Amino acid sequence: MLTLNRREILAALATATAARLMRGGEDEPPAILGKRPMILHNDLPEDLETPVRYFGTWLTPTDSFFVRQHLPRPRPIESAAFRLTVNGMVAKPLELTLEDLRRLPQYTVPAVIECTGNGRAFYSPKVPGIQWGRGAIGNAEWKGPRVSDVLKLAGASSAAYVEIDGADSGVAKTPDFVRSLPMTKALHPATLLALEMNGGPLPDLHGAPVRLIVPGWDGTSSVKWVVRLSITDIRNNGFFMNPGYRFPKYNLPPGTPAKPDELEVIEGMPVKSSITAPEDQSKVALGPIAIRGFAWAGEEAIERVEVSTDGGSKWREAELSAPKLPFAWRLWRLNWQPSDPGYYTILSRATDSAGRVQPIVARWNPSGYLYNAIDRIGVIVEKAS
Amino acid sequence: MKRKVMWVLAGFVAPALCADPATVELGQKEEASNCIACHSVRIIHSQRLTKAAWNRELDKMAGWGAPIENREAVLEYLVSNFGDDKAPPALTMTRAGNGNPTQASH
Repeated sequence: MLTLNRREILAALATATAARLMRGGEDEPPAILGKRPMILHNDLPEDLETPVRYFGTWLTPTDSFFVRQHLPRPRPIESAAFRLTVNGMVAKPLELTLEDLRRLPQYTVPAVIECTGNGRAFYSPKVPGIQWGRGAIGNAEWKGPRVSDVLKLAGASSAAYVEIDGADSGVAKTPDFVRSLPMTKALHPATLLALEMNGGPLPDLHGAPVRLIVPGWDGTSSVKWVVRLSITDIRNNGFFMNPGYRFPKYNLPPGTPAKPDELEVIEGMPVKSSITAPEDQSKVALGPIAIRGFAWAGEEAIERVEVSTDGGSKWREAELSAPKLPFAWRLWRLNWQPSDPGYYTILSRATDSAGRVQPIVARWNPSGYLYNAIDRIGVIVEKAS
Repeated sequence: MKRKVMWVLAGFVAPALCADPATVELGQKEEASNCIACHSVRIIHSQRLTKAAWNRELDKMAGWGAPIENREAVLEYLVSNFGDDKAPPALTMTRAGNGNPTQASH
């Protein structure tokens, strides 16, 4: 039998009590201005996940859109004081005001933003990073000038990259948030400097006053609080480009490190579907049940979503929402009427316009990026009382 | 009765059994003082990693300027509380935030 002396018991109890208090985080969870209750992953800076029960609409309302911040958020910039620097390999370096950006032709693009690590919690073995479930994703309408129009104003050369700097900066030796975007993608007509989100002003949490939108690419490409665009010949090599946000070129045995020279910058996103209703491990009454979710495929459009209610033995095609667009997601729905009560394993599998199909097993990688395995939930169907 | 008390205590101290409680406590104190300049402790506590993976995280944080004074103690604290053998924590929800989202406070 275990025996401990008094000192050891007291020390252990103190540790356990303190650990319980700490585990609860910072006493009371914070209220985030302009947000409904969200899943809290980090208090400061706020990293917030959308609970799946909020995902009922094609456009994700701004008040329930997920938030990812790598570094402390910059202080809000007064509209009049804002300047966007455009420099590097340009004929005419610019300092653009918000008014200058508003005077350019404005375009609206519906596009998904998905954190590169969405679904990281589903990888096994576990990997470090925010343990996102299904909700580090949202579909919004973004409005603002095209990056290509801004580059044209500056007489940008046809160099290989546009380097984008956000106003957020590191603490201690934490690296600055700088990304490089290949010129071909920067010049795409859907790549915007967004000033609005879902028809309203862009909120501070989402990168006000100016946020880059890179439709169909991982969320980290869509730099928030943009203050500088530089035209460059070479790709930025800071942490957020290397080794951050890179994916192994060759599949790794799960749990093993990647070789640094075999990591590639992530461009584009895989095909993926998520089940949003019923909720995983929930109880539902025997009767008609609507199985719902969303599916998206980076720069491709969703062609088909199939659903299985028997663990993958039989599959049925779900009904898809219009429109069928690249960049934006499609909502899907399957009406299901189980004949018996009991436990059911429900799966969803998407196929995109390029013929890509969601895999059964996602490619494990040390940073937990790009999780896109066939989604899976369990529900308990109960006899109506 | 005495036996029951001992088993209850055993349940409390189980996470610390393979680690020296004083070391774990030291690690926890260090977390509270040295890990929160850039992020809250919640982002640490929500993870479940092997000792090797926690070690790599400490390397990364030290490289970014985190002043880690008692590295072994911090590592022991992390592994004994947030090791990959521990169940994941329950999710925490924020409270509803009202007001204008375009002017979030700092």
